[in-house]
Amino acid sequence: MVSRSLHHAVLALIVFIWVVPFVALVTTSLRSELASKTSGFWTAFTPTELGHRFSTHDKGALEEGLVFTGNIFDRLNLGEDSFPISGVVESVLFQGRIPDPDNPDKTKLIRKLVPTGEVMDVRGGAFRFDANGDFVWRFDAPTIPRPKNLDVFINQEPIFGTEAYQEVLFENKHVPNALISSFIVTIPATIIPITIAAFAAYAFAWMRFPGRDWLFVIVVSLMVVPTQLAFLPILQGFSGIASWATALNAWMTDCETTSSCAVASKSFASLWVTHTAFGLPLAIYLLRNYIVGLPRELLESARIDGANHLQIFTKLIVPLSVPALASFSIFQFLWVWNDLIVALYIGPNNADDLVFPIRLQQQLGTFKDQLHLLNASAVISMIVPVIVFLAMQRYFIRGLLAGSVKGG
Amino acid sequence: MAQVELKDVNKTFGEVKVIRNVELEINKGEFVVFVGPSGCGKSTLLRLIAGLETLTSGEIVIAGRAVMDLPPSKRGIAMVFQSYALYPHMTVFHNMAFSLNLQGMAKAEIRKRVEAAAKILQMEHLLDRRPAALSGGQRQRVAIGRSIVRNPDVFLFDEPLSNLDAALRHDTRVEIAKLHSQLGATTIYVTHDQVEAMTLADKIVVLKDGEVMQVGAPMELFNHPANEFVAGFLGSPKMNFFDGKLTAISKDKNRAKFAGEGVTTKLVRLVSGDKAKGAKARLGIRPQNLRLDSKGGLRGRVTLVEKLGTETIVELVSDGKVPFRFASPDVPALRVGDHARFSFSAKHAHLF
Ligand SMILES: Nc1ncnc2c1ncn2[C@@H]1O[C@H](COP(=O)(O)OP(=O)(O)OP(=O)(O)O)[C@@H](O)[C@H]1O
Ligand SMILES: [Mg+2]
Repeated sequence: MVSRSLHHAVLALIVFIWVVPFVALVTTSLRSELASKTSGFWTAFTPTELGHRFSTHDKGALEEGLVFTGNIFDRLNLGEDSFPISGVVESVLFQGRIPDPDNPDKTKLIRKLVPTGEVMDVRGGAFRFDANGDFVWRFDAPTIPRPKNLDVFINQEPIFGTEAYQEVLFENKHVPNALISSFIVTIPATIIPITIAAFAAYAFAWMRFPGRDWLFVIVVSLMVVPTQLAFLPILQGFSGIASWATALNAWMTDCETTSSCAVASKSFASLWVTHTAFGLPLAIYLLRNYIVGLPRELLESARIDGANHLQIFTKLIVPLSVPALASFSIFQFLWVWNDLIVALYIGPNNADDLVFPIRLQQQLGTFKDQLHLLNASAVISMIVPVIVFLAMQRYFIRGLLAGSVKGG
Repeated sequence: MAQVELKDVNKTFGEVKVIRNVELEINKGEFVVFVGPSGCGKSTLLRLIAGLETLTSGEIVIAGRAVMDLPPSKRGIAMVFQSYALYPHMTVFHNMAFSLNLQGMAKAEIRKRVEAAAKILQMEHLLDRRPAALSGGQRQRVAIGRSIVRNPDVFLFDEPLSNLDAALRHDTRVEIAKLHSQLGATTIYVTHDQVEAMTLADKIVVLKDGEVMQVGAPMELFNHPANEFVAGFLGSPKMNFFDGKLTAISKDKNRAKFAGEGVTTKLVRLVSGDKAKGAKARLGIRPQNLRLDSKGGLRGRVTLVEKLGTETIVELVSDGKVPFRFASPDVPALRVGDHARFSFSAKHAHLF
């Protein structure tokens, strides 16, 4: 009982720790620049008292008169089409001279907060305001008052908007390009290894050939090779291929006359190859272990029915391995989508082709003070894997084998 | 001409000899049952015929062709597995059509054949279901249907009923028997259930440790077991055995007299014809063949009485401390601790 509630408490704590940064990210991306700069994301959900400065009216806007009216919120939101301020006006800061009670005939400078409903002196007129922002300004004699800037404190309601997203998505091409590049890298870098791995896994599981088990051990043990260790040889390899391709290009086409013949050694293709190579050992390992667990009689039955290896693979193994294929493709997709280091060293490095993690890293510099924009980009880069995960998660539920063999 | 012929078939897994020198002929249309205790190599022998295992040595001929180098699909066989091995992601129709599709048969012809098979098995209404939505018995029928559509020379069944409950097992057994008489196809059927073997078979092959113990019609095996193993394996409750010596042997060496602890016989059937007078032997007599007889030579004390309704089985211990059983369709007036005497007719006794 005790261990159970402890269990739950620890679980809740873990969930909390994981969820808080995500909530912070999303919240900040939906706030105004000002709000995200001046207060923490946790204040965004409750009304907060904030100070604003408004001017009573625009210069030259008034005719001579005795009474002038207006609304503080209208004045504040003038010319702002995003994040309009709303809420309850609490007080206005009065700053001015009043008759000094100690020293008759003298005045003294005071600053004080004037609450709603109370009259205060503004440029010789009686200024009164209500909680909803309406104000009335009365004079004894007809005048044209000069505009006055006043500081108002408003208990402001939470407000969210998608302005940051519009800005990062449409103001310039960085984020859209990064999205496209990431897809160009990720989709083939997921499909290629999983295809190869499925064939290899079937062979390792169900085909008999000499040295099979040793080969499998070698492939699986390649999992321990750290990515970073392999960068230098891989880069050398790619630049060798690139110079070879450049020479071929020069020889086969008339590229010299039009532009350069150089073939880049860092490209999308090199990323595909690299991610495939690093993804294969795990993919083969996972898929083989799944496929070897399929009922042997099922495959024997197919053999009796006259299926050859390729037919067994396409008509039986692949449909029955969908859960394993789906879970590995989620792993690979997430890993490639979030990969920074391989893309940085081996991917294309012209500005238009940068993948999302590199773009984010660069935005860390450019958007240093614009947390809302940075967070909006980050959320966009997260949404894709989340969608992929949600779309595939039903394949995690096993039970596809139900009914094939006894009991089930 | 035999439909299936096994000539000196051997199979070893590593060092272990699993099938030894099996010689067997199966005629066209015959229903042959392999029986034997668990691990005796029944499945292995069936898989050798199917081509799922490779022979170590010997020859297998099916419908006049040596098939050792042919893949399973080219041997003219169809197999029903113990676990059914239905393709879980395909409907019943596609399960049955799978092999025909692979042969590249025309769609209309496939539909005709599948529907014909479904009709025979009375499962036309199941064709659009997936295996997961079928009961155990229905899955079993789909598995059989899948082999019927291929129209094979030989049907192979590996313990097809062992996953069904008792009632369904009986029904399906009857159905398989009907199906066999309807199709007239050569069938090899593996089971370790002697009731299945006795009821279904035209010919029973009893195996032990990879060796054929006896081949023959069910009643022949029952009445004239070729050795002690077959005698003990077939029949329920098990045959009673008593140790003793041969006291006299007939000239043709087919019959002998026996004296053991508490039992002596006149001339009875002698199975092991190589034995001489005075040699040790075992007397076998089925529990059903004992008769309560107050003047009988076999005396025992009752240790347990089991009334099964159709039959009553009495467990006893003889004066020589040998446990034995007596079975009777009536309910004998015997209680635990009672002493009883039995006699038997010489024609039901066997000497091994
Ligand atoms: N692939 C294999 N490798 C090694 N030994 C095997 C293999 N297949 C079967 N055997 C052995 O061969 C022997 C016979 O096995 P088999 O499956 O033919 O028995 P069976 O008569 O069908 O038994 P059961 O009634 O339990 O199904 C067993 O001792 C088994 O351990
Ligand atoms: Mg078996």
